[in-house]
Amino acid sequence: MDETVAEYIRRTVLKIPRDEIKSMLQKWGFLSEAQLQTINFHQMKDNVSQEVVHLCEENSADIKQAAVLDIIYNHIYSSKRMWSVYRMQKTGEEPEIFDLQSFKKKFKRRLLSVLENVTINFREYEDNAIWIRVAWGTPYTKPNQYKPSYVVYHSQTPYVFISASVLKSNLPLLCQALVVASSYHDIHEMELRSHSLNSLKDIVFKRYSQNFQTYCPRPIQDRSGEPEIADLRITQENRSEKERIQRVTREIFGDGPQPKLEFAQYKLETMFKSDPKMEVLAKKEPFRCQVKFSSPHLLESLRSLAPAGMADAPLSPLLTCITQKARNNFRIKEKRSSFPESFVSP
Amino acid sequence: GVFTHLEMLETQAHEAGRKQEEKEQQEEKLASLQQRVEELRIQRDQLRAKVDLQQKRKSGKKEIVSHAAESSPGAVLDWKLRRVKGMLQIFYLTGISGKLTKRGVCFSISTAYEGTYLDSYYLDLLTKPAVQIHRHSIPIFIPLEQISKRYLQTDIRRFLSVLADHLNAYARRKYQADQLQERFSDHLEGSLQRNSLCNLLAFNYKVPSEGKTFPFSARLIYTDLCCSLPTEVVVSCTGKCLGMWKETAAAHSELFRRMALHKAFCTFISAGEEVD
Repeated sequence: MDETVAEYIRRTVLKIPRDEIKSMLQKWGFLSEAQLQTINFHQMKDNVSQEVVHLCEENSADIKQAAVLDIIYNHIYSSKRMWSVYRMQKTGEEPEIFDLQSFKKKFKRRLLSVLENVTINFREYEDNAIWIRVAWGTPYTKPNQYKPSYVVYHSQTPYVFISASVLKSNLPLLCQALVVASSYHDIHEMELRSHSLNSLKDIVFKRYSQNFQTYCPRPIQDRSGEPEIADLRITQENRSEKERIQRVTREIFGDGPQPKLEFAQYKLETMFKSDPKMEVLAKKEPFRCQVKFSSPHLLESLRSLAPAGMADAPLSPLLTCITQKARNNFRIKEKRSSFPESFVSP
Repeated sequence: GVFTHLEMLETQAHEAGRKQEEKEQQEEKLASLQQRVEELRIQRDQLRAKVDLQQKRKSGKKEIVSHAAESSPGAVLDWKLRRVKGMLQIFYLTGISGKLTKRGVCFSISTAYEGTYLDSYYLDLLTKPAVQIHRHSIPIFIPLEQISKRYLQTDIRRFLSVLADHLNAYARRKYQADQLQERFSDHLEGSLQRNSLCNLLAFNYKVPSEGKTFPFSARLIYTDLCCSLPTEVVVSCTGKCLGMWKETAAAHSELFRRMALHKAFCTFISAGEEVD
């Protein structure tokens, strides 16, 4: 077995938390159960990884099989990477039969025709997600296995989720291969980025909770926030206001959990509005400023702003349109007389 | 002198005040008693009406409907509630229901397969200036854009029915594939390959017969997105193919074309011994 492959496997195993190593190796399926039984998973990770490398040598692992282990790791720990969403466009109404084998063939053929030194791996998951791992090389060097790009694609959808490697120069090639393989004709990057791949999927596939007014008999969830105050001497002075805030918040955000985004960024290119006597920026140029909201879970924190009394309800539409517009990067230009609100550029 | 005069005035004022208070209290009492009388009168009227209704029912008169105006408001409300509940039930059963919103209409489309309710999908439409989709929860792989381009502006009923057809067919195909995986997993070899729309299924399965199992591979294509039965089926025997297994493969192919996937499996798994 190649030295580089052994080193790669060793380093991949070291990344895995000790308690997860056995189950991940089982998912990988490259080592037999009997071989796995011989490993002592309670010793130091260094030693565990050495033992795994030994066994892989016995089975003569090559880089493709090692790459599969890497995909499995990244599938479970996908939140360690930053994912961007790309949207593909197609012209005509082509038949919607998606053949996985033909997709894989076209993708590989396209990439390999331009760049020979690439390692390409595919893995399909139950939810119709196709994971693609590409390790890039140059015409003169072998692929760098430590900086691969990952692509997640759901068949018959126009969205692709890419976690690019640091080597951004390969991105156009990757996009081209995707477009050709999936029979679309164009691809462009959306302004949507997050560490949580599932949340990105929820947003673009419209799987997040939206509040629709219907007659459908659904069980009304009893959201009893505060415990009933038994003391009759205490009265809630602003009960109706609180109820209004709850109702408005519910209308905007729905009932269920929100997709997990870490930030929302607004680049302002608007004019600074001040007292004309102050003469700040007499040049009348747009005041360039960037506002960034960061949070471990931005949308949940926005949802709790009004009920916590920290903001007025309803919140600004610039904040509440994030999931519907599927973007968390905005450019706000000057208000034009025909629009009642600020113009948000596409 | 002056002081005694003042004292006298004071006591007079006191007296007047006290009398005023008494008078007010009396008036209050009177008002509350009058209210009580009113309440009791209303109660008496209601009870009278109830008794009348009972008597009429007992005497078996058939003009109860025409007496609706005379019966108590409670009965009318009851009737209205029952009617609305009936409407809601009809909506639930037909699968498409709509509710007027401030700026348009919100439709909900429920999918079902033979009595099992599957997911519901929603469409929030605006009606001014033209009919357009504001928000929705339709899965991205359903060709919503195409369908709305063709029908939304011209014939909204057709739009809803075509969309409902697509959604129901997708839900049924998905249900069949899920059922196959759940109930017949021990007859499947490897995993069931499918795509987002569940309109291409490929799997390997084995049929037991006389103690041995015979492997087959099947590929089902559903080109009609509004249909939950496949348009193209290819079943082939993957092992050593004797003549009779080719016939079985053809028979299975017919079954898959005609009936739902999990039902077809039921049929030939249980009848396996008889056929061969």
